[in-house]
Amino acid sequence: MEIGKISLHKTNSAQKVNSQNKASENKLTTNPFGVSFKGNVIQADVFESTKKASANNNGIAEKSKLFASAVVSGINNFNEAFKSRMNSVVSFGKKITKNVFDTIERVGNTEITFDMEGIKNKLFPDRQYSVKNLTNKSVGELKDLWVNLTPQQA
Amino acid sequence: MDNNKKIKNIIQALGEHKDSKDAIELLTEIGTNSPDDEIRELTAQTLIRKNTHDSLRVVLISKGKGINDLSARVAMSSINELLALKDKSEAIKILDDTIKMHSEEDVRNTARSVRALMTFSS
Repeated sequence: MEIGKISLHKTNSAQKVNSQNKASENKLTTNPFGVSFKGNVIQADVFESTKKASANNNGIAEKSKLFASAVVSGINNFNEAFKSRMNSVVSFGKKITKNVFDTIERVGNTEITFDMEGIKNKLFPDRQYSVKNLTNKSVGELKDLWVNLTPQQA
Repeated sequence: MDNNKKIKNIIQALGEHKDSKDAIELLTEIGTNSPDDEIRELTAQTLIRKNTHDSLRVVLISKGKGINDLSARVAMSSINELLALKDKSEAIKILDDTIKMHSEEDVRNTARSVRALMTFSS
């Protein structure tokens, strides 16, 4: 008789099996509560699935699935992390590019002039007092220069 | 370059300046009133070299300036510069007018002496 996955055996018939088989069956007896069904004591193996071997295989398969899932999850996580890092790298690159273009545009719109006369006068302070340079200055500028020099002269 | 050298260069630049009128005014205002004999001397020489009516009037008829300067060095240097002029006509004209019309006797006497020197040198 078989109910679902539970199979019942009569104890009497089980005693009729040869002694070796009986011994091996007794080893497998794991029914400490003596559960009986219609007067027959239920053997331990009746609680075990008839697909015990395949269950083990499923376990391995499940583990493989778990492992694969973990790998896939890991890959997904890696992809997400890689994407987020790439996004930050890309945004950083865009920012740098924008700054470079802004700088180029700013430089393009900036008029750079060098006051060569000022630089020369800084390097050679007496140069502005040469007669040639003084002649090119206005009389007002010459007056200022003269007045600035006069107090020191006194 | 010391300040005196710078001022000398400024005076020389004013002597060569295109804006002659303003340059003469500046030389008259600051140069001829300088406490430094050397600066006054150079200023007077520059004004005489310009050889214009306005520049010569300053050194010929102004009391204490040019040929009338209290410093013999400045006065003699101015007279030498006048004698060195190629065209003395404007200077002689101003000296003649000074001898005739100037209110200060010292100025008239100095002008007369310089006029005589210029007559002999020309």
